[in-house]
Amino acid sequence: MSLPYLLLTILWLSLIAYAVLGGADFGAGFWEPFSSGPQAQRRRDLINQALGPVWEANHVWIIFLVVGLFSVFPTPFAALVIILFIPLTLALLGIVLRGSAFVFRTHGLRYQKPAMIIWSRIFSFSSIITPFFLGLSAAAVASGRMHPRGPASTTDLGSLWLTPFALVIGCMSVAVCATLSAIYLTVEATNKHDRELAEVFRQRGLSAAVAADAFAILGLALAPIEAPILWKGMLDHAWPLVLVTFLIGVALLIVLASRYYRIARMLAVGETAFLLGSWGVSQIPYLIPPDVTVDGGAGPTSTLLLLLIGFVIGMIIVLPSIWYLLYVFKLKGGMGVFERGL
Amino acid sequence: MPNILAARAQMGTSLVFHIIFSVLGVGIPLLLCIAEGVALWRKDPVWMALARRLTSATAIIFAIGAVSGTIVEFELGLLWPTYINYTGAVVGPMFAFEGFAFFIEAIFIGIYLYGWNRVSPKIHWLSSFPIWIGGAASAWFITTTNSWMNTPAGFHFSHGQLIGVDSVQAIFNPSTPYETVHMILASYVSSGFGLAAIYAWSMLRDKRDDYRRKGLLLGLAMGLIAIPLQIISGDLNARLLVRAQPAKLAAMEGVFKTSSHVPLHIGGIPDPKTEQYYFSLRIPNGLSILARFSPNGVIQGLDSFPPADRPNPIPIHLAFDGMVGSGFFTFFVALIFWLLYFMRKRLVPEQTWLLWGILLAGPLSFLAVELGWIVTEEGRQPWVIYYFLRTKDAATPAPFLNITFLIFSAIYVILAITLIVLLVRLAKKPLPKMEWSTIVSGEKSQSQVEEHGQRV
Repeated sequence: MSLPYLLLTILWLSLIAYAVLGGADFGAGFWEPFSSGPQAQRRRDLINQALGPVWEANHVWIIFLVVGLFSVFPTPFAALVIILFIPLTLALLGIVLRGSAFVFRTHGLRYQKPAMIIWSRIFSFSSIITPFFLGLSAAAVASGRMHPRGPASTTDLGSLWLTPFALVIGCMSVAVCATLSAIYLTVEATNKHDRELAEVFRQRGLSAAVAADAFAILGLALAPIEAPILWKGMLDHAWPLVLVTFLIGVALLIVLASRYYRIARMLAVGETAFLLGSWGVSQIPYLIPPDVTVDGGAGPTSTLLLLLIGFVIGMIIVLPSIWYLLYVFKLKGGMGVFERGL
Repeated sequence: MPNILAARAQMGTSLVFHIIFSVLGVGIPLLLCIAEGVALWRKDPVWMALARRLTSATAIIFAIGAVSGTIVEFELGLLWPTYINYTGAVVGPMFAFEGFAFFIEAIFIGIYLYGWNRVSPKIHWLSSFPIWIGGAASAWFITTTNSWMNTPAGFHFSHGQLIGVDSVQAIFNPSTPYETVHMILASYVSSGFGLAAIYAWSMLRDKRDDYRRKGLLLGLAMGLIAIPLQIISGDLNARLLVRAQPAKLAAMEGVFKTSSHVPLHIGGIPDPKTEQYYFSLRIPNGLSILARFSPNGVIQGLDSFPPADRPNPIPIHLAFDGMVGSGFFTFFVALIFWLLYFMRKRLVPEQTWLLWGILLAGPLSFLAVELGWIVTEEGRQPWVIYYFLRTKDAATPAPFLNITFLIFSAIYVILAITLIVLLVRLAKKPLPKMEWSTIVSGEKSQSQVEEHGQRV
């Protein structure tokens, strides 16, 4: 495996980490507007307590991804940020508003009615647009119609990212985030012995998973015309991953329906990982099909080597720390793996 | 607005906003670590209450720092694609390593903020160490890339292509040791004086109790150690410019013509059109002596650079003098405080004029950070990577920059207002009961958490 592929693999695993950790935090915002009625405050509290300790650490993955991409693939990155200036700026707006809205409403605004309502609305709205525009941008890359010319590229006004394929993938991203979040919240609610909320999120998890599957199938159906290179790559060498994604998806529905929430949580993570993995493997050997390959787009070798050394040392420090964080707040004293929800 | 102006305006606004939070993100965790350490050592509920109150403020400040930092990180690419094309290839790893340092901060801040009632007191205190170490490391990594922009090293440029890239050489460029230390110390000075100013304010409003006195001591203790070191570090930085960035030094001091016996001008307006100084305090031979230790020392003036390569001395000189002035004011306030403290046999001095001085030193030390940043960035113009890439060639060709500038500026205004409202409300909350058993961290029963956890 060449140095660029090695580094891209690390970045892709980071993308998966961002999707399953940060994505779930966005999904929590998606469910927020549905919280009305007598349980509303309890649902909000559950979401606040679930996100509070971990969302900042989860958020760092996107920062790591951005800097990792411009360090490993500087010239393709420079082109991408020009071409996708509009959707990426919108995603950035979403990221910024989500983080600030969340912290404002959890710290201090609790009992301030009008301000609390406004920031809660901003929280949920920005939680939806962020994964939407990130998914949209990813689809624009995957569709294989982009012709980057480094810093001399021009901004695309929608011909690449306002396509049916990109819109479907954008919606799929939102649905995946919503699924992850609902399933995580079934575990959180069960840990708090709140059967009622666990049931609510179980049902939401099921419907969001079905929606995500529907968008995925729609995207797959559009791929032969809208993203031919991706489609060929999938038929050629990525089909086992797609198959596994599908099988995990089916298993997830069964396990969630029968209330094995811890197992459902693992399967949801697995499904998202395989989904993103299928995309990555289908694209090989391209970074931005059809013009930029992974090897061709990478920066100078000495920089890549330093990055690899740094990535390895950094992950040795960071990964156990993340595990400790998740252990303290998500695993310690919670429900068992094979325990069934009430 | 043309693209270059809009891009600079947006980047500048973002950094003016973000730098406050990055400085606090480096400084406050060390204050927390000290306060909680003293509390555990002396079993003193007042010090513990200080740490707890500061923790609640940190939750909000750190989150806003994380989001504004994300804006900056994205804008490096979105606004300056050509810049990131070269920077990514040469010093990109620094940003990636900063990512790891930020991970460590964010992970342990999660444990620190939400772990008061979940982990043992010792573990809780220990979890503050990775936060401030990670904070200092982030500052080091990020300021290193800025050093590289000022004194680029580790690559050659030929026909628009980068050749012979050596990242390690780029990282240890001539400015790195000077700039990084200056930035980290600045974080400690401004966080320390910022905290002290808050307690000075509440003491001025006649809330003179043990809690406020200890808060004042905590902030000033950190400020006192950091500020003299900062003044030495600043002097070393300026000396480096004589060799490394003579154009920046010439703009900072408003030197128009290369010569010996250059005077030092304090304040005033160095007009580049007439090449005259207005309203300044002139010290004959001052600059030659400061920079070269001799009145015969030759200082390179702006005239040794082509007109297109000259930075504008007016804002740079004023910003520089403003920074130095704020720094010395802060230094003298700290000095007087500690003199009185030891003369009065370790009693916190509470003279009203001194408290006003401390109150003023807080915002001034933040102003110094902003001005220092303006000096280093404006002083490098018209270059973004000194002598390799002009700022105007680095800006994005993307449309709608005027709109994004307006939107992001509006967001900063809204964030700032909400943040201030929340912090003021936090400060007005009644203090917790100063009892060791309820205020110390560690696993607690639900009723204890409900009774005391929410209040602090």
